[in-house]
Amino acid sequence: MEVANIRRKRDGRITIKAGSKAEALMVSTLMILAVLTMIGFLLFDYSGLELKKAISETGNNLKTMFLEPALTHFSWGEAIYQVGITVGLAFLATVLGAVISIFLALFAATNLSNEWVSKVIRIFVAVIRAVPTVLWVLIFAIAAGLGSEAAIIGMLFHSIAYLVKAYSEVFEEVDEGTLEALRATGSNWWHIVMHGVIPSTLTYLMSWTFLRFEINFSVAVAMGAAAGAGGIGFELFMASGFYFDLREVGMITYAILVVAIILEIISTRLKNRYFPSQ
Amino acid sequence: MSLLKVVGLDKSYHSNFRVLTDINFEVDTGEFVSIIGPSGAGKSTLLRCINRMVEVNEGKILFGDLDVGNLSKKALRKLRTNIGMIFQHYNLVPRLTVIENVLHGRFGYKTTLQGILGKFTEKEKEHAFFLLEKLGISDHAYKRCDQLSGGQQQRVGIARALIQEPKLVLCDEPIASLDPNSSKVIMDHLKAITSELNITCLVNLHQVDVAINYSDRIIGLNQGEIVFDGPSQMLTEGRINSIYGTETRQFITV
Ligand SMILES: Nc1ncnc2c1ncn2[C@@H]1O[C@H](COP(=O)(O)OP(=O)(O)O)[C@@H](O)[C@H]1O
Ligand SMILES: [Mg+2]
Repeated sequence: MEVANIRRKRDGRITIKAGSKAEALMVSTLMILAVLTMIGFLLFDYSGLELKKAISETGNNLKTMFLEPALTHFSWGEAIYQVGITVGLAFLATVLGAVISIFLALFAATNLSNEWVSKVIRIFVAVIRAVPTVLWVLIFAIAAGLGSEAAIIGMLFHSIAYLVKAYSEVFEEVDEGTLEALRATGSNWWHIVMHGVIPSTLTYLMSWTFLRFEINFSVAVAMGAAAGAGGIGFELFMASGFYFDLREVGMITYAILVVAIILEIISTRLKNRYFPSQ
Repeated sequence: MSLLKVVGLDKSYHSNFRVLTDINFEVDTGEFVSIIGPSGAGKSTLLRCINRMVEVNEGKILFGDLDVGNLSKKALRKLRTNIGMIFQHYNLVPRLTVIENVLHGRFGYKTTLQGILGKFTEKEKEHAFFLLEKLGISDHAYKRCDQLSGGQQQRVGIARALIQEPKLVLCDEPIASLDPNSSKVIMDHLKAITSELNITCLVNLHQVDVAINYSDRIIGLNQGEIVFDGPSQMLTEGRINSIYGTETRQFITV
């Protein structure tokens, strides 16, 4: 006997997908992109391209870059110092951003704040988030001039927008019953926040903050190159765009990679320590 | 004079649906009163009106000589220090220790700064330990609350209410999530609060037998109206049926 509600594909086999509109839209979008990509490749200007030579040259360049890395224009000490500057930029933007964001997020969380205040903050940070960090840096560069100040303010701006969203969503996850119990004791808003909300969410807040730090590190590298913020990003820009020194580009890439790996390890450790069960 | 007096209370969350209709009752100091009724009857809402966790639409609630509906923000905080509250799901801060959770009951007496800094006097801390000892969980004082069993967490909840030095304790289904043994422990403690400390208890329950065993007086609520109010021995089978609706009671013995 046929059970009601079974959905079948055209060939009669039972389907387990809900077959929603969103799903169909997603599949068709991917298909269209695939077709466009193929058409794009067919339309390239291939004249003057000697495929064999091009491939071997690319291979050669990659080999020079990554198998024979070397520093020519500055020393090891200088390299470490420059990486330090980049990490510093990221750190400053993240810490300042985190402190400001905590307060804004408390007022953006619907369970802790007034509906209107929360809405205004949300819309405000959504707008800030919609503009890429690089653009904010360039906007602030109008006032502060290109350099590390503009870079930090721009990164700070975007970090705040990102963290306010993340933090406020974390705050909203706090059990309503816990807040109610504290309110019923006669606690005021600050008591509830400091002794109910923050302790319940601290580990999540730290995770988000560290995640943002990782993002800010890569942004700081890019800002060094694009906005003259200094640090290893600027050296990378000089090595590639100014000196055409493939070996140095390779070396700097490795240095950035090492820092990224270290950050990743620390973040995993933090997670294991504070979320032991997961 | 009665400790608590509810006069003509109406409450609705949405304009088209009344949750409580014309509720009138008085409670004296040292009484142990159970409120029973099917789920959705409005028991939780009634408790929350008393310490103004929700606003009432009509009627008056008098606590001592205070009109609960007319208090300023500051006076409301002060009122709440006089009314402890205990919940079905304990509602502790799970990541903090037992002793920290108990001391949360003192925030109502603190200024903003004292509270933020978590400044508690030695006397308050000693009182907290005394209560934990009394409730039989002082050896868990430095454990995180999420490591405790349900019955133990509920005792932390009781300690948090008692350290407020309240005149009235509101209990919203305090044993609904507990096994029979822990339930008995909790109910015995609540009973002791009234008999030893002369603190009034107003307890929402859905176990009729527990209500009859423990309370001096029972209020029966059905669809937002009081359908029974009297000493527990007056609660006959017929009256229980009128509170819960006849059919359901015959199949499910609570
Ligand atoms: N915060 C709320 N907002 C809207 N409706 C609510 C809220 N709390 C309770 N109600 C409604 O009020 C009625 C009574 O609920 P409640 O007081 O929780 O009853 P009980 O505790 O007796 O089960 C129910 O119909 C419920 O859906
Ligand atoms: Mg209820």
